[in-house]
Parts: sequence; C-alpha cells; structure tokens
Amino acid sequence: MQILDKKRLENALDKLAGTAEVFLPVKKGTAQSGFYSWKTFDKEQDTLMLDALNVLLPPKNVLFPQTEKMYSFKEEGEGIEITGTYEDSKATIIFGTRACDAAAIERFDDVFLTRGYEDTLYKSRRENTVIIANACYEPGQNCFCTSMGINPTDPAAADVIIRDTGDAYIWEALSSKGEKVTGTISGLLESREVKLPELKSFNTIVDYNGVAEKLKNMFEHPIWDRLSQTCQSCGICTYVCPSCYCFDIQVKTRGNQGYRFRCWDSCMYSEYTQMAGGHNPRGDVKERFRNRFLHKLEFFNERYGKPLCTGCGRCIAACPAGISIAEIISEIKEADTDA
Amino acid sequence: MHNGNCENPLVPGVVKVIDIKDETSDVKSFFVKNENGVPFNVMPGQLAMVSLLPVGEGMFSVSWQEDQEYLQFAIKRVGLMTDELHRIEIGQKIGVRGPYGNGFPVDECKGKDMLFIAGGIGLAPVRSFIKYCFKHREDYGKIQILYGSRSYDDLCFKDELFDKWPKEKDAEVYVTIDNPEEGWDGNVGFVPSYLEEINPDPKGKIAITCGPPIMIKFVLKALEKMGYSDEQVITTLEMRMKCGIGKCGRCNIGSEYVCLDGPVYNLAQLKKLPPEW
Amino acid sequence: MKEIGNKIREIASRLFNDGQVDIFIAWRKGNVDYQTKPYIAKSIEDVNNIVFDEYSIHVLSNYLLKFRDGKEKIGIVVKGCDSRGIVRLLEDQQIERERLYIIGVCCPGMKDPLKAMKDHSGLTEQIETTDGLAAKCLACIEPNPVIYDEILGEPQEPNQKGERFAQVIEIENMSPDERYKFFESTLSQCIRCYACRQVCVACNCRGCIFDEMKPQWVGRETSVSDNLMYHLVKASHMAGRCIECGECERVCPVNIPLMLINQKLIKDVNEFFGPYEAGMQYIEGAIPPLSVYKEDDPDNFI
Repeated sequence: MQILDKKRLENALDKLAGTAEVFLPVKKGTAQSGFYSWKTFDKEQDTLMLDALNVLLPPKNVLFPQTEKMYSFKEEGEGIEITGTYEDSKATIIFGTRACDAAAIERFDDVFLTRGYEDTLYKSRRENTVIIANACYEPGQNCFCTSMGINPTDPAAADVIIRDTGDAYIWEALSSKGEKVTGTISGLLESREVKLPELKSFNTIVDYNGVAEKLKNMFEHPIWDRLSQTCQSCGICTYVCPSCYCFDIQVKTRGNQGYRFRCWDSCMYSEYTQMAGGHNPRGDVKERFRNRFLHKLEFFNERYGKPLCTGCGRCIAACPAGISIAEIISEIKEADTDA
Repeated sequence: MHNGNCENPLVPGVVKVIDIKDETSDVKSFFVKNENGVPFNVMPGQLAMVSLLPVGEGMFSVSWQEDQEYLQFAIKRVGLMTDELHRIEIGQKIGVRGPYGNGFPVDECKGKDMLFIAGGIGLAPVRSFIKYCFKHREDYGKIQILYGSRSYDDLCFKDELFDKWPKEKDAEVYVTIDNPEEGWDGNVGFVPSYLEEINPDPKGKIAITCGPPIMIKFVLKALEKMGYSDEQVITTLEMRMKCGIGKCGRCNIGSEYVCLDGPVYNLAQLKKLPPEW
Repeated sequence: MKEIGNKIREIASRLFNDGQVDIFIAWRKGNVDYQTKPYIAKSIEDVNNIVFDEYSIHVLSNYLLKFRDGKEKIGIVVKGCDSRGIVRLLEDQQIERERLYIIGVCCPGMKDPLKAMKDHSGLTEQIETTDGLAAKCLACIEPNPVIYDEILGEPQEPNQKGERFAQVIEIENMSPDERYKFFESTLSQCIRCYACRQVCVACNCRGCIFDEMKPQWVGRETSVSDNLMYHLVKASHMAGRCIECGECERVCPVNIPLMLINQKLIKDVNEFFGPYEAGMQYIEGAIPPLSVYKEDDPDNFI
C-alpha cells in the first residue's frame, strides 16, 4: 500500500499547491467551516478539518461558485458587443472531500454536462479538477449516505482515495488524473502495509427503498401540509446542501459596459417562480417545500436515475425549524396513501 | 444553435431589429435579422431567449421565422425587461439565443384537421403553427382558428385575423372579445364558452391551445366534454425561465424542464405532470 | 420547566376544548434530547406533543406571519424576546390582537439547539461545550413577557450584565479604516442565503426590497460591495424596529456577528430618538420612531 504519513501532510499539500489550487476543509478563524484554498490558510487563525467528519459549507463552491461571471458586453450607439466570456480552466484539486460530497459532484456532472447542452462554465472547471476523496469510517449523528446508495468507504467520482488510519493516510490513485497527481508527491509516499479501518454503524437509518416510486402518486397528499408547517423558507438548506444547483442569472452594468453573472438561488424563495405577468405557480410555502423534497427524492431520480440527496446531513444540522429530510423520508415511507 | 459563442450555450448572438409593429396598446412585434451569418432555424412552437444585455433576458416564443429573412417575436409589456424592450428603436441591436424547446409536432399532425384556440398573447406561439400550416397548405386538412381577447384593442395580429386567414383555403376564423364594445359586431364572450358554442367535431382533428392559465384550464375541460381524446389536445406552457437549457432548475414541472423537454405537451403528457402551472 | 410544560399543555387543551383557538404554536421534541423544534398544533390530539424545555429558544412570533391573511384564532407561547415580537407585529398591523391568545413564560435563558445540532453533527470542531446558555440569552435585557393573556413562571432577572453596548463602543472607537476592514472581513463571508431576513420578525414586508427588480436596489453578487449593501440596508430598515431577539445571528450558517450591527442601531436610535426600546409595550396606535417624521428630528448624523 502507498502511505502518506500525516507528519508529511503539509509538505504534500505544499507540493500539490505548486501544480494546482488545492481546496480543503478548513475552519476559518472562529467563523465558518468550508472548503478553502490552501494558499490562504493562516496557521494562526485557521484550523484544518481533515480529521473532522466534514465541514458545514460543501465543496460545491469550487466547481460552481456562489457568484460566477459569465460574459461581458459593451454598448456603443446602436451596437452591442460581447467582449469576453469568462471560463476558468485553472488546475484545481479538491482534497479531502467525503463520499457524500463527491457523490454530489457526480450529480452535478449529470446536470451540467448531460441532456441537450453542456454548461461550458462548469465543464472547464470540472475537466481541470482532480478529486482526492477522504474515505469515511465514522458516520456522524445525521449521516445517512448508505441509505441513499452512497458508499462512504469508496467514494465515487474520486480520482484518488485517501483512508485515515490514525497517523497516516493510505493513498490510492484510481484514474489517470489521480496517477498524475500522485506523481507530484511520490517522493513523500512510503510503501508499507497497514490495517484498513472499519466502518462504524450509523445513527440515522433511513429506508429509501421504494420511496421514489411512492412519491410519484403523493403530489396531492395531505402530508405536505403538516411537514411544511414550520418551514420559514429561509433557504439555509439549499445553501449548505452539496447537491443543490439552482441558479439565477443577473446583470451588472456600469455606464455602457457590464457583465452577466450567475449566482446561487433557492427554490425556497417566494419569488423563485414569480412570472412577470403576475402568475406564481408556487406562491405558497407548502408548494415550494413539496417541490424541493420531490426534486431531491423523486424528480431527479426519474430524470437521472439516482436521488439528488446524498445523505450528508448538513440541512438537518442547519435548519432553524428542525426539519429533517431523513425524518421526511421515513414519514413518506410510512404514509398511508389510500386516503 | 444560435449564440455568440458556439461553445457556451448561455452567451447570446447579436441580431438587429429591422422592424417594430404595434399590435395592441401593450404588445409589439419585433422583427430581428441575424447579423452573424450563422443560420437560425426555428420550428413552430420553439422558444428563444431575447436579451437586452444591460437589462435582462426573457424567454419568448418565436411567432414566425421567415426563412433567414427575419424572426418575429410578439412581446407584451409586463415586466422590467419587456418595459425596456418596448422603448427600443428600429436599427438597435439586441441579443438572441436559441432555439429552445421541443416545438409543435408539425409532422405528426400532417393530414389532420387543425383547431387552433388562443387567448390574448397566447396567439403568438400558436400563430407559428398556423402560418406553418398555411405555408404547407396541402399537408393539413381543414383549419379552424378561435381567438379571443379582453377587448378589440387587445386582439393581436388583427390584419391576419380579419384580412388574411379568413381568405385561405378551407379556413374558418372565429374571433371573440370578453365584453361588448361599440363598433364590434362580432361574438362577445369568453373563449371556452365560444368554443362550446361552435362545437367543432373532434373526428380526425388536433386541437392546439395557448393562453392565460385559467383559459387553458377551461378550454381543456370543454374539449374533453366535446369528446376530444387526450392525445388530440396539445398546449404550450409557460414558466419563469432563466437559463433556457434545463440547468438552473427554475422552470421545472415535476421532473420535466419546460425550457428543454417542453414547452409543448399533449394532454396525456400533461396529466402525468403535477398540476403546478 | 417541566411544570411549565405541563401547564402549557393544560392551557392548550382547555383552549382547544372551548374553541378559543384553531391552532396553537409552541414546541415539540425532536429525536435527540438537545433538539426542540417549533410546532403548530392543530387539534387537541396534537397537544400531547407540546413541550417546553431549556431548548425552547425559537422566536415563535415569526410564525404568526404565516397566518396574517387568515382568520384562525391562534394560541401562542412566548418568552421575553418573542413577546416583543408580537408587539412588533401588532404595531406593524400585521396581525390583530383579538385573534391571539398569548401565554407568556418568564424565561431563565435558553440553550441553543441549533448549536447543539451542529456540534454533535461533526461539522464543526467541538471545542465549545453545549451546556451554556445561548449567546443571545446572555445579552438578554427583558426575559419576562411584555404582553400576555396568561403568564407562567417566576419573574426572571435579565442576564445582561455590565455595559450593554460594550462591543459596539469598541468598534465605534476604531478608526474609519479599521472599522471598514473589520466589516469587510466579516461581511465578505456572507453567502446571501437571506436566512437572517426570513427569521426576523421585524422583516415582514410582503414585497421585500431585495426581491425587487424594477429597479434592482442591491445586486445579488457575493462581492464585498453587494454584501455590505445588503447588510447595511437591512440593518437600516430594522432601525427602531429590531427587538433584539438575536435569531438572525443564531441561524446564520457562516456566523456573521449580525447583532453587532443591530445593536449599533439600537444604541443610536436610543440616543437620537429615545429613550426607546422596540416592542417593549403594546400601546394601541404606537408607531416606531423612524416611522414618524417630526420637524425637530435630530439630523446631526446626516
């Protein structure tokens, strides 16, 4: 086995940062935790979170930034000109992402790269990104990834998998991209045999089997009234979710120049489906709530063959009203549909 | 695919506005011509995203494409972007990207009698199919057009409604307005009730409808009552759209994206989707 | 607390029985002992689910906004901070007093279930214990309900000790450059999730300025300038109306010190237009000081 001793981790990160921008789970100061660049890591203030279960903000901002410029334009008299498109193709490494987040990236690939059109902004980032995933052996309080078909010890879509054995990482390259990256730090790897960690048991168990099928006929079910009652449509769930991808397109103008950009949006906001003529198909909290969970658990499954929820548990931890998707799945599983 | 940068589907191509026509007090027809030479081929019922670059974008149905001469959009002034759009002048350049959507099933309808039912600005997308039928007259049977609006002023495409289409071979045009008006001696009443009065025979017929959601709902009920099967009824839906390419998530009805999989659906397909339109 | 919980269930049952309420807003328990969540009971059978414990921190008066257009009679349990929220809504004419049956509870301070959830989830470094009172409760100036139809519990002393605006004064004493740097670093973290707006009781406009597109007042980019604009505009809209419930800071997923900004405005309104504390008393027809124009209004800060 190839081993990277943890004492050499910083060295390895420095070496990797020489070839690409490395994003890893960091707690910035005392504030938030998310995926930040190794080159902005401040030893005094920040804490590396590779040993923690995960971080509150998902790594989706690396491939799908909160705000992303699309193209710029200039007006001159009667003419307008598109003066440039922004496509970021710099080399990137996402280091230490968990299976749930890596699976979310897989789902992003389905959305942005398939079905009719390829989103070139996403594509250029994705093609130049290497995913080094951190296999997970100790599920957290709210984790239920296995229930959603995710394998925590063998993250999908990973170019390299690292496994934490306590004082070292087992380093396993899985793709040609992974091999290339391994080459960068090959000097720091040693060869020895260590015992693989064991996957501990889950606290949150959810039975997703058959839920997608059942949901197909539950659009008008009264359960949505009760489940959505305490939702304040604040949108936190959509922002901490690693697989939420809805975006808005807006424009920023200054004088006769400007650029169009896209930014994260949330289906939970009241004006999400508001049409200019005044009609709003989802004006009520219940309608938006129902749409969100149906999208995560049924619509996406119907369209792409897998559920959009990857069981990371972030929304469960962050919801001010204590709404839990795991509980909702269980309630749906047990719901009486004969009414 | 017409856009400025063939690689990036979100970047528009630049077109020139060669004519603007007032249809009603708040609807204008914009005729745009492609400046960059890349052919733009739109089938009836397809959509295009019109951009006023500093202001915003809006998805509109292409009301007609006259070969490579022009594209016609009939746009109602309702919001921020359409407001600004109504102020532009002939000769100005705007952005257009598309075509998007699945379009009307022009081939499957060949040989059938056609019944077009539209209300208000809903005539804009339906008109693309009407004109297509007239252009390929021999491919289609009898054509009946039923159109209604709030008032005489709100009727779009008046010249075609009153002068051109009634003169076409084997074509009937029925126009109605909601309330009686001085100078109007045509039918008065809502589109769904006028439809029931006319009672067109469902045999061998395809009904295409578009209009305000409430009108569509009543028309669908009326058609069902008159014996039209679900496969015989086709409509085109509208949702708020931003990307136009099925990525941003906004226009979904169930698992379908109206900009990509729609906007044209027949009633059988519509019944399978959640009633969120 | 258990006693208070029992009394609340008793009262709720009585109210449902007598037909005095159609819905009752309180709390219920989650799956783990540190999780208590808001709950809307709709019938007497639901009353068994109602609890009141040391994690009942949520400002339930925000849920009244869901029912502002309806006619239901609403029973609600409030503590000090959320009772001020009810006064806020009454002053803003968002709900009618006759529709409410308010059970006030004198609050000893609450623990934060959201923080406990996050600490136990493995998503944060578990260095702070979850045994202490929530940060917002430590700064509380009014733990006893200011409006109620029935009151439970013994009157409590405010937890806030020492200089109330200590942190605000610290920042006021910074040079403009230092101040700008401070706010730039804290507010640039904002991901514009708008949760602070949604959980705020005082934020009850039907058409929010940040959703407005004609014209668009604040851009949606997470650039420093747009983020600063969002927070400053929101805080200014809260001036004279913020009830200091601290929910915005509690729910923020990126831990922005929102109460610092709100407290600065509370201090200023108190100094310039005061003495004034929002939502302390319900006087029919009362209007917040910034909703009234007087010719002798101070303007030395303009």
